[in-house]
Amino acid sequence: MIEFKDFVFFVLSLVLIASGLSVITSRNPVTAALSLVLAFFNAAGIWLLLQAEFLAIALVLVYVGAVMVLFLFVVMMLDINLDKLREGFWDYLPMAGFIGILMMVEMVMVFKTKQFNLPPLSETLPNASNTELIGNTLYSDYVLPFELASVVLLIAIVSAIALTLRDRKDSKKTNPADQIAVKRKDRVRLVQMKSEEKYVKPKAKERT
Amino acid sequence: MDALMTSVFGLWGPSIAKTFWILLKIVAVVLPLMISVAYLTYFERKVIGFMQVRIGPNRVGYFGLLQPIADALKLLFKEIILPTASNKVLFFLAPVLAIAPAFAAWAVIPFDLNLVIADIDASLLYILAMTSIAVYGVIIAGWASNSKYAFLGSLRSAAQIVSYEIAMGFTLVGVLMCANSLNLGKIVMGQAGGFWHWYVWPLFPLFIIYFISAVAETNRAPFDVAEGESEIVAGFHVEYSGMAFAVFFLAEYANMILVSMLAALMFLGGWLSPIPFIPDSFLWLLIKVAFLLFCFIWFRATFPRYRYDQIMRLGWKIFIPITIAWIVFIGGMMQTSWGYLFH
Amino acid sequence: MIKKTKQFLSSLMLIELLKGMLLTGRYFFARKITVQYPEEKTPQSNRFRGLHALRRYANGEERCIACKLCEAVCPAMAITIESEEREDKTRRTTRYDIDLTKCIFCGFCEESCPVDSIVETRILDYHGESRGDLIYTKEMLLAVGDKYEKQIAEDRAQDERYR
Repeated sequence: MIEFKDFVFFVLSLVLIASGLSVITSRNPVTAALSLVLAFFNAAGIWLLLQAEFLAIALVLVYVGAVMVLFLFVVMMLDINLDKLREGFWDYLPMAGFIGILMMVEMVMVFKTKQFNLPPLSETLPNASNTELIGNTLYSDYVLPFELASVVLLIAIVSAIALTLRDRKDSKKTNPADQIAVKRKDRVRLVQMKSEEKYVKPKAKERT
Repeated sequence: MDALMTSVFGLWGPSIAKTFWILLKIVAVVLPLMISVAYLTYFERKVIGFMQVRIGPNRVGYFGLLQPIADALKLLFKEIILPTASNKVLFFLAPVLAIAPAFAAWAVIPFDLNLVIADIDASLLYILAMTSIAVYGVIIAGWASNSKYAFLGSLRSAAQIVSYEIAMGFTLVGVLMCANSLNLGKIVMGQAGGFWHWYVWPLFPLFIIYFISAVAETNRAPFDVAEGESEIVAGFHVEYSGMAFAVFFLAEYANMILVSMLAALMFLGGWLSPIPFIPDSFLWLLIKVAFLLFCFIWFRATFPRYRYDQIMRLGWKIFIPITIAWIVFIGGMMQTSWGYLFH
Repeated sequence: MIKKTKQFLSSLMLIELLKGMLLTGRYFFARKITVQYPEEKTPQSNRFRGLHALRRYANGEERCIACKLCEAVCPAMAITIESEEREDKTRRTTRYDIDLTKCIFCGFCEESCPVDSIVETRILDYHGESRGDLIYTKEMLLAVGDKYEKQIAEDRAQDERYR
């Protein structure tokens, strides 16, 4: 007999698979990207069922909230002709199939390892906050790899900025900092000068 | 068949009852929220009117108190126009995606010590995740409308929301450093014992930055370039009319209430009373939220709209460095003998 | 340098923004100047240019002689006039339409009129409920003139010495 939790799991995984399929089959790139968002959501839901709430929320926060937004940005602005992209389908099929099978075999091998048969967290450590546990392990057992990863990310950020930081000579862009710094007295000069002579009406004939 | 039914209800019965109970709680939160959203629009029109030496709406009902209801009725009866060559599914999905996260985030908001729908450990993270999803409504609306103005507005707004989320996230890091918890209830209880224990004081720059980023997150003036009536004719929701437009409107105001609520909970001690011998109550939270909302409207009545590059400069070059510097400062101070000041 | 740091500090402290908020905050409590329209009205000049009217002489004869000066001068081409000879051999209009949706209320028609026939009254709150309601025909304009003749005559009399 299935429990309510299992029912939720099946719903989530069904939607996950369906949205995953729609990512690779949909004709419109924006729809594909949005299906990917849906897939991420359902994956996060499944993680929530596994009581990995930190990871689930981080998935939503990072992938859905930031990465996919940038993806959509690019995809929306491009005028992609999908039919052209699809042309070489049969040529690429053997290579793609090989890679797919390879990945599947690898995944099965990973699933066979001991780490995948651990009891759920709530049984081993009742009342444990997910976030705290992850924080503790990250900053004690795995502090070196963690710091290394952060350095790698920093390098990536710096190099990405360096790559895009090219000033064109003919660029007419303004510096907002300078503009904001301008005060009234930098631009306006008050001048003292004599007011004009009073206007004297020239003598004219009486209006008829 | 009967056996199956009984076994299903035997197993699922408690779950169904629980689900029903949760639904009831959701209604108890969402209904007052909708009403407060409606009256926030009235409040905004009145306050802005007063600041512009006008008296605001005063025709429908006493002091115009029925105005929001009249507006809602009007919007309900208006036709929803579908632009040609728009993506029909996404066009109607966009307002839903805009309002769903704005309401979903309320699941973890505590109104009192035990008055919360879902008391989860990582509630702060959950709220961050929900507010980061809100951008999809805007992006999809802009793209699905098949209009240049809408698309430009949505691009502007998406870039703005993503940028300011970083500054906002950093300010929350400061809060959880002080509170040692991601749970909103625990964060509030960490500020117990009079207004001098509130996190505003050790985190004052972060509070200011949080609030300004919140204004930018919710696309309110002076950061409302996503709408920019004068440049891109209302931006991402140009093509929306009737109830579809009203839903965007609701989402904006629900988000405003949400971020004010968060500011009140994280920095201003939530439902705790400012003076120890006055009892804590939900009313304090209401007062704090109302004041913050008043500030939102006050900003709108005071400041002219930012230029877009200046918004980006403010977010990336000023807010993020200041927040990082202050987090490092707090972290350092916590190691010294003055550390107790920051907890 | 000093100026730069000073500017940096003042912008960091949001001084100018707070000043602005203080100003709007003060106006929040200021006396409101709203005129509650249907009950209260702002004073009107006797030269106010509102709804048009065609006037008559005291003996009931319509003033308009179909000279078509107003039709010629109208910058919005809102006036349409057709004329015929009447039985008493005088020239009169058979049609005098003003399309108020075109009219820009410049007052040229009134100024060009040699017999003070077409005038603009003080009426500003008129409306139409369907398309075409705002095209005023000769009868309608004459009716307006008959109804408000007293007011119109008073306003003209006040303005007499400037004309």
